[in-house]
Amino acid sequence: MERSIENIWKEGFLESDALVAPKINNLYNQKSIHIIDKFKRMFRINLIAIVVFSFVFLAISIFVGIPITGILFFITLSVLVLINKSLLIGLDKIDRGVSSYQYLKAFNQWINKQIAINKKMSTFLYPIIFMSMILGFWFKDAEGVRLGERLVNEILIGFPNTYLVFGIPLIGIIIIVLILGLLAFFGGRIYMWDLNLVYGRVFKKLEELLTDIESLRS
Amino acid sequence: MSSDFYKTSILPFAGIIIKLCRAYTNSQEDFEDYYQEVCLQIWRSKDNFREESQWSTWVYRISLNVCLTLLKKKKNNVQHFVSDSITSDETEDNYAFSNESLNLLYDAIRKLSEIDRAIIMLYLEEKSQKEIAEIIGTNPNNIGVRVKRIKIKLKKILDGKIN
Repeated sequence: MERSIENIWKEGFLESDALVAPKINNLYNQKSIHIIDKFKRMFRINLIAIVVFSFVFLAISIFVGIPITGILFFITLSVLVLINKSLLIGLDKIDRGVSSYQYLKAFNQWINKQIAINKKMSTFLYPIIFMSMILGFWFKDAEGVRLGERLVNEILIGFPNTYLVFGIPLIGIIIIVLILGLLAFFGGRIYMWDLNLVYGRVFKKLEELLTDIESLRS
Repeated sequence: MSSDFYKTSILPFAGIIIKLCRAYTNSQEDFEDYYQEVCLQIWRSKDNFREESQWSTWVYRISLNVCLTLLKKKKNNVQHFVSDSITSDETEDNYAFSNESLNLLYDAIRKLSEIDRAIIMLYLEEKSQKEIAEIIGTNPNNIGVRVKRIKIKLKKILDGKIN
């Protein structure tokens, strides 16, 4: 006798294997791996973008006559990329075979280490970038004379009593040192702001996932 | 999600969630993902439950909404990479029940439209027309006719008349 769909439904679910609920804890694996893979992808793209930018900027700086800026930029960003590239190797070493909680915890530790290192580097990074701009323009050729020297000469015409230290107006040195100090002081904060702008959503998801698993474990 | 909440408020209704998730997925991986998402959403939305309906009805409503949302997301993702049509292979489940008739019925259910799938599953779970209408958000008077039509369609699919 032909069975109705109601009977197929009822009889089908009488078997013991039909309604086995998946283990919730293990199900977090896919999600955590997905989040971390997404972060890795973004991180790699970010590093590639920095490398491309440093090359383009080097070419432009030579073209517009401020090669010192371009070279210093290039060296600084290359160091930044190399350090972060070596940090990325550490991320690849995280074992995917462990539980999702351990996996996320290991990733969280890695990210905290990465942030701490980059935050420290930012204390030097932003002042170096600023200084490279100053030096680039200072040594830029302006009709046979350095732009910096030409600027000093013009200041001395307008303000003959300007106090000079190694041929540079003291007030200029003070302003530059002040800006360098501020950049060094706020470097870490600028980096954190930049970091949240790019990776903020990934970090938020990671935090939510960790909270979820932690409450599940409690 | 605390394990107490899972044991007392979700696990007793796991059957209904599993049945529904199976109807909207075609692989074990997707099924587990949908099941997880449904459980998480129930847990996250538990404070919004105002006892205006039964807890089971509310669980079913959340399960259905999550499945429909995930299905929509999946379709959008697939459309970015391949064609926009769903092939007949996609209705077949890689992970099947041991009961062959049930597998055939599930394959047939997966060939229905998203809403028809929800209606027939609620009907098979012996929900009243009023409850089905409440969950779907439609007029209870139309449910009876719709169920009859879906059953005819399912019968045709099972008899191999519709691919």
